[in-house]
Amino acid sequence: MNRLFKLPPQIVRLVLLAVAVVTVFLIARYFLTPLSFGQYGHYRGDAIQEIAAREPYWAGRRTCDECHPDHVKKLAAAEHKGLSCETCHGPSRAHVENPEVKLPKMSFGQCVRCHEASPSRPAWLHQIKSRTHYTGQGCTECHAPHQPNEVP
Amino acid sequence: MKENVSRRSVLKKLAGILGGTMVVSAGRASKAAVQKLLVNSGALRGYDPTQHKWLMALDVDRCIGCGLCAEACKSENDVPLEPRYFRTWIERYVITKAPAGSGESRGDVFVDSPNGGIGGFPPSSIPKEDILKSFFVPKLCNLCENSPCAQVCPVGATFDSPDGAVLVDRNYCIGCGFCIQACPYGCRFFNPVTHTADKCTLCYHRITRGLRPACVEICPSQARIFGDLKNPLPDDPIQHFIATKQAEVLKPHLGTSPRVVYAGLDKEVR
Repeated sequence: MNRLFKLPPQIVRLVLLAVAVVTVFLIARYFLTPLSFGQYGHYRGDAIQEIAAREPYWAGRRTCDECHPDHVKKLAAAEHKGLSCETCHGPSRAHVENPEVKLPKMSFGQCVRCHEASPSRPAWLHQIKSRTHYTGQGCTECHAPHQPNEVP
Repeated sequence: MKENVSRRSVLKKLAGILGGTMVVSAGRASKAAVQKLLVNSGALRGYDPTQHKWLMALDVDRCIGCGLCAEACKSENDVPLEPRYFRTWIERYVITKAPAGSGESRGDVFVDSPNGGIGGFPPSSIPKEDILKSFFVPKLCNLCENSPCAQVCPVGATFDSPDGAVLVDRNYCIGCGFCIQACPYGCRFFNPVTHTADKCTLCYHRITRGLRPACVEICPSQARIFGDLKNPLPDDPIQHFIATKQAEVLKPHLGTSPRVVYAGLDKEVR
């Protein structure tokens, strides 16, 4: 029995060295692999939570609804019902955190950004040629942004 | 075989088991300590990705090309304004009429996306009389089920999350750019600030808090529809979309199985 496994000493040393290298590798791998690796798949599971940890920038319509339910309700009944408040009013996170911070005033550019006539725009959209549509002061002279169809 | 169970042998076995568990738990504790030194994980707890399946739908007939989505995306996700990299952008397709007597159904196809649609589209140089058809197509990461980007990543930094988002682990990304080349939709870019690959995360930090992605939130015409297939909200527009629209995907012949679906796609859209 002993004679069968009798190996030359240099081979025995090589085998021992190989076993030592593999053992060191396995121990190092155990310590260096993140704990959450393999939690969901072949990647670090904690990465999901890290990416989710970022702070949102746009507040969202539901946040506006908390303090301005009257405006949101009014909007929901009119033509602009699909719009989010921030679509026109701009990013409002700072205003949510501190109501003293006022949002910028609306401007003509915000209306024509969507409503300027273009052959690429779908036919269902109300489009105007701003140069000939009206040459007065501004859109809000006739149109209320929250009820755009009510023209006096 | 005769069993010789002595008190000593039983105690020895018990001590062995106890010792083994202690070694394992000590190993895990020391591993956690080593990990704390190596990776300072600012991970939030409480979101379970296996409980959701996100889906993004785009309705081409609803897109008016205002470019607000591309703008909102950049500010939400700190995407640099210059160079002109985008997580989402809008393309304008202009298909001209076929020359008279050519026997063709349509002429040439022109596609442009000035600054990704940010700031809107200037009037097309093609006169209105020559245009057969023109429309806008919003583009973003197609969230492939068989994502080529995740397959080529050599370090496992890009992965398919169980909830359907394809994400980049910035701590692991080495910035080799393989994924940027592998994406057949051109939806990835090299972020010059973080020096890692960057892409649409479906605004992961928003959807995990119950908010909609920034582009969906800001879209004035409901061209972008977003929802959860596993836990649909009572008035989830995605259910209505699936039930009423004919959903298509981009480049279906590549077998990437995108989870971003389109309605009203023209055959010229790639």
